[in-house]
Amino acid sequence: MASQIIEKQLNILDYSLSSLWRKKLKNLSVILVFTAVIFLVASFQMITRSLTSAAEDALVYAPEITIQKLSIGRQESIPLKYIDQLSAIFGIRQITPRIWGYYFDENNGANYTVMAMDTTVMPKSSMLSQTLREGNLPGLTENGKVAIGRSVLKAKNLGSRRSLSLFRPDLSLKSFKVSGIFNEETDIMTNDLMVMTMADARDLFAISSDLATDLLVYVSNPAEVATIARKISEAIPGTRVLTRQQIQKTYRMIFGWRSGFASVCLLTALAAFVILAWDKASGLSPEERREIGILKVIGWETTDILAIRFWEGLLISIFAFVIGCTLAYIHVAIFEAVLFRPILVGWSVIFPPFRLPPGIELGDLLLIFSFSVLPYLASTVIPAWRCAIVSADSAIK
Amino acid sequence: MLIELESVTKIYNQGRANEVKALDRVDLTIRENTMVCLKGASGSGKSTLLSIIGCVFPPTDGRAAIAGKQLSRMPDRFLTIHRRQTIGFIFQQFNILPNLTVLDNITLPLLPLGISPKERRLRAMPLMEKLAITHRENFLAGQISGGELQRVAIARALINNQPIILADEPTAHLDTRLSQQFMATMADLKAGGKTIVIASHDPLITDDSRIDQVIGVKDGRVNVP
Repeated sequence: MASQIIEKQLNILDYSLSSLWRKKLKNLSVILVFTAVIFLVASFQMITRSLTSAAEDALVYAPEITIQKLSIGRQESIPLKYIDQLSAIFGIRQITPRIWGYYFDENNGANYTVMAMDTTVMPKSSMLSQTLREGNLPGLTENGKVAIGRSVLKAKNLGSRRSLSLFRPDLSLKSFKVSGIFNEETDIMTNDLMVMTMADARDLFAISSDLATDLLVYVSNPAEVATIARKISEAIPGTRVLTRQQIQKTYRMIFGWRSGFASVCLLTALAAFVILAWDKASGLSPEERREIGILKVIGWETTDILAIRFWEGLLISIFAFVIGCTLAYIHVAIFEAVLFRPILVGWSVIFPPFRLPPGIELGDLLLIFSFSVLPYLASTVIPAWRCAIVSADSAIK
Repeated sequence: MLIELESVTKIYNQGRANEVKALDRVDLTIRENTMVCLKGASGSGKSTLLSIIGCVFPPTDGRAAIAGKQLSRMPDRFLTIHRRQTIGFIFQQFNILPNLTVLDNITLPLLPLGISPKERRLRAMPLMEKLAITHRENFLAGQISGGELQRVAIARALINNQPIILADEPTAHLDTRLSQQFMATMADLKAGGKTIVIASHDPLITDDSRIDQVIGVKDGRVNVP
């Protein structure tokens, strides 16, 4: 009995496959459009996910609070004397200065991000070494050493050389030995990065020893971040106090509005496809109606006829879904999301290129599946059901 | 009796403005192993009568028993199963799927029974030999002649070895030679124990001496001689 049921389903599947083959031109056109829509939506989802997760990953190392000094609404260097002023606030575990800025490389027309700070105080600082493809970050007192991103290595044309020179503001040269190179998984954050000691950064940018770009505040109890931030604002007026949560929110907003804008466009395309599919499937052709009528009269049950349509719809939509998602992965992983990159990562031409780590979650796939495969299945099965439940003779007349 | 209809009425679109009474209190009995012709003009109700005998739909009113089973109030699923086991259909335009091969068309009724492709072919081969279409086995149905199409339709009606064969205007699109060939095949089937009901107004059928009984159908009522 069980083997008979299996054989019956195999027969129906076989009939569905031959039915797809008989209408190959029509089905091929549906598969092409379906695949294109899935490819666009999945690509978009993957690149958005990559950017968001990369940004969130980076924040793991971020301090709970960042303090910047403002003057007429713009950021300027912050005096280190504030550290003493703030250390009286209860709940602050550590305050460390950071210098960061941009170094413009005229030869390559690229901006590099230069950063210097005591990395040992960062949360999960022991994991920082995992972000390096080779070597180490410069130690606190290892002046003359720098860790660089892959794009810097390439732009400076270092090859196997492990030294580079940068211009100070007075156009004198400062030499560095490359102590480490960041790996490609962290490209989005490190591709244009140079990490050096505080002393080297001061020397390179000609910053006096009592100033830094910003102050990083680490707290003992994360639940008290908001209170401590408020106390800092009150203690040092004229500063901008940013919590990690606020930075996280800003990242989400940046990617959110961009991905939201493009998602609306793509979901419109998806909706248009579903409507087209529905229109195509709901209007069964006279030949299809006649075929259903013949099958019914010669003894096929309504469920058998629905099974044919179900298999047809499932095979087409699953095929299109798998191919679409695979092409999307290739598009993001190999071709670096060439179609959507400008929309999601900005339009700058100065920043060196970086590699996107493709990211997709099961939830994203299920969402795309739900908005594509399921409506298509419904659009093929429901009209067949409407036709199959009428008496067989009316279908063949 | 193999087919028993008692006061059978069929109303299409009942209760609507376009209500049509196609059959009106029809009484009819057909014995096993006979060849009967339902004769009537177009719109007389003979196709509706054939559909009820063929378990395509139950009557609106009255009692219909086909091969020992009551059709009245039988759910669609059971009608289908009973039809599959009992009735072989030959349609006016044969209703063969042109994009399927001859073999696939003939074995189409066996697919939902869970019969393997090998077994299906084994069942079809004797029928194709008997009807002289073996050489067309792998041809698409759209590529064969009208006479061969007719024989494919007959083979499909016989593939499940059903006891009753129903044919609706089977010679409407055939020339005289093919019509005579059709009647000869039906006579052979009757000789093999089948019960055959043909709805037609073609004199080649209605006047054929091999027909056991001609039943007139007019305005939804039957005239059994």
